[in-house]
Amino acid sequence: MKMVLGLAVFVGFGGTLAGAHFVPWMSHARLPSHTSVVANGGRSEQFLIRLPADRIAATDAAAGGLRSMAGEGAMVLPAQFVAEPLLVEHFKVRDAVGSVVGVAARHWSASGSGATTTWSLLIPSRGAVILSAAGEERGALETALRASGYSPGSAWEGQVTVPMMSQDEVGTVAAGTGEFEGLGGSYTESWTVAGVDEVGQLNATVEINTITRRPQ
Amino acid sequence: MKYLLVVLLGLLLGAAGAGATLYYNPFSAPAVGMPNATDRVLHYSLPDHVLAFALGDAARWFGQDTGDDSLWEDTIDRTGVLGLVLNDASNQPAAIASRLMAASSETDLLLRGVLLSDYWLVSIPGEGTLFMRADSNAWPFLKETLVPVWYFDRPWKGPSEYWPTVGPGAENNGVVVGVSGIFRGTEGSVVEHYELTAFDPARESALAEGELHLNLPGPQVAVQE
Repeated sequence: MKMVLGLAVFVGFGGTLAGAHFVPWMSHARLPSHTSVVANGGRSEQFLIRLPADRIAATDAAAGGLRSMAGEGAMVLPAQFVAEPLLVEHFKVRDAVGSVVGVAARHWSASGSGATTTWSLLIPSRGAVILSAAGEERGALETALRASGYSPGSAWEGQVTVPMMSQDEVGTVAAGTGEFEGLGGSYTESWTVAGVDEVGQLNATVEINTITRRPQ
Repeated sequence: MKYLLVVLLGLLLGAAGAGATLYYNPFSAPAVGMPNATDRVLHYSLPDHVLAFALGDAARWFGQDTGDDSLWEDTIDRTGVLGLVLNDASNQPAAIASRLMAASSETDLLLRGVLLSDYWLVSIPGEGTLFMRADSNAWPFLKETLVPVWYFDRPWKGPSEYWPTVGPGAENNGVVVGVSGIFRGTEGSVVEHYELTAFDPARESALAEGELHLNLPGPQVAVQE
């Protein structure tokens, strides 16, 4: 009886320690990655953001125009930053088939040397990838919408696609962790707006198309 | 039947002993990164400097609010998204930060502690944008403060300070990559420090003062005053 008790204590002790060491307590659910190989090498992958559903938060300053938020959920910038050309947005991120796979932050800012956009995309089961590009012009979305008949304060429906970089430009993959560690590559970003309601809420899809490859 | 009861009792005793061993295990609080005297320091106060936060449903370990927009999907339910204002040494707003957090699959309760992966995107108007990656060990905070005070109603022995950064860079520091502006192309290190100044489970409130110690090469790094 004593031997059985001792053995059970040993197994309980060892099993618990082994579980603490080997069990992946903090693993994240992973969906299949929808990637394809491109002709000149590298891996192509698309990420989508559906607005308004996937917007988590955005700053409230004027620089954001329709993309900034007002009221509940807005990131209220300190007075020192209200006049700065700065827009910070947080989103959920979907894969090419529309399933939520991660979260992202987008920082747009402008200085004397021009505007820049930086994305931090976190796919918890895979890692993070940092994308960087020359930023779009301030109010790029509003300019394109006005050209298609949108007027502030009234609802609008249609289909306008706004590239967030000029036609012959692409952004770069600046850094990565996990599966994206050590990868280089490029990306493009476009916003397709299908509607704006009376209070300025966007009904839109953001497409981020990446091509990643391991530098030779 | 008697043997079955003895086995069950033995397993329970063994598991309890292992639990106590894990709780007091010194290996789960490994060496942490420490700052240099020349680091640039950005400060934040919680909750005053929080612009927005959203928390995954499975990351609500202690029943806290999930924030502005719950991250309920299975793939992101152990993540958090935080928007923060960072102040400079003169306590003026200097930067806006987005902190994306995820429970780390590197978590090892026996040897490494409870790890969080932190991904910071920090924009400093007029200077540029930085990306920071840090592994943070939450175990010392859980063990010394949250579990005893929250679960066992022990009195809080604060204020208490923590240096959570344990990697993934050299000397247990986090890694900084300059993405745009004057930071573009630079690489450096980061260490986080925070001090819990108030903690009241009854009111579900906590106050903290945090610091990011940035070490970047080049003249753009201002020395802490």
